[in-house]
Amino acid sequence: MSDKIPRAFLAVARERPPNADAVAEMTTEDGAPQGFLAAWLDAKRPREGAVRVDPRVVDPRGEPMLCSLVLPDGDVSLDFDDPAVVGATRAALGGVWPDLLTTFVRAGYRFAGALTGVRTEARRWRLEADPFAAIFGRRIVRVGPGLLARVPAPTGPVTQRYGAGNPWPWDRFDTGRGID
Amino acid sequence: MRADLVRGGRFPDLELPDHAGNVRRLSELAGGDPLVLQFYRGWFCPKERGFFQRMLRLQDEAEVAYTRMVSVSTEASAVQAAFRAGLGARWTFLSDERRRYQGELGLLETTDEEHRPYIPTVFTLFPDLIIRSAYNGYWFWGRPTEEELRQDLREITRSIRKNWTAPPPRKGP
Repeated sequence: MSDKIPRAFLAVARERPPNADAVAEMTTEDGAPQGFLAAWLDAKRPREGAVRVDPRVVDPRGEPMLCSLVLPDGDVSLDFDDPAVVGATRAALGGVWPDLLTTFVRAGYRFAGALTGVRTEARRWRLEADPFAAIFGRRIVRVGPGLLARVPAPTGPVTQRYGAGNPWPWDRFDTGRGID
Repeated sequence: MRADLVRGGRFPDLELPDHAGNVRRLSELAGGDPLVLQFYRGWFCPKERGFFQRMLRLQDEAEVAYTRMVSVSTEASAVQAAFRAGLGARWTFLSDERRRYQGELGLLETTDEEHRPYIPTVFTLFPDLIIRSAYNGYWFWGRPTEEELRQDLREITRSIRKNWTAPPPRKGP
């Protein structure tokens, strides 16, 4: 089986980026503006601070979501194989899957946070249970329409990434040739 | 069990709700990886609770071996979700509460008229759902050992990973 992995990037921006493939307004839970969350598809890293994400989370027709955004400042990151990251991945797999979850990849192969999203207020508790928040801390934000898609839970129990530069939980090798 | 559910046969591409109630397709769950597909009686069965300990140990290896696991029963999704959480399982459970496939697969355990569960059966599958092995677990010792599962998964992986042998160093410019 062969799947070409499209490259997708996400970034927080103060102004609406004119060249993004999908953009949504971001606010606090109370509605205070927090800028924009923007995505680029099939691109090299489009701007400083952008992180690579599972491309399935991007949908220009996506509905609003309440999210736990774990995104440290600057170039802070961890090795993806760090026990803290692996532990959080296991916890995510073993728990109740949210409507959306992607880890962030920085510098080609480093863990730089995660985005967890739910469609309804009734599922807000799942954001409080975000295991990745124990690594870098997080903020709860509302992401408006036009950006985020629901992503089905991975089959499990694989915690590895399919290729060092790819985010989790993307679950296919790029060329079908095996580990890249 | 249906006669064609043997090595070399293709397992049907089941479509069932998972433990969260989302409809999933077996081929999607397999993706491009080897798959361990388990049919089990239910949470109530002590033999199943015993065998799940084997599956949990396998889970800790499968998580780094690009290998997937799916368990199927006739219990409701919510029951499976609770059982899954209690076990500490990190793979997908599928609910055939309506027994959509039980008869078709020939896996109805007729000796338990109360639960009418699946006959405990484990399959190891290639990503295209071709069967590598089928294990009849009606008697506990018929179930696969961890080593049998490892050998199956090794053979499947060796077959599907074209770079099973690490590539040689690239030549210089």
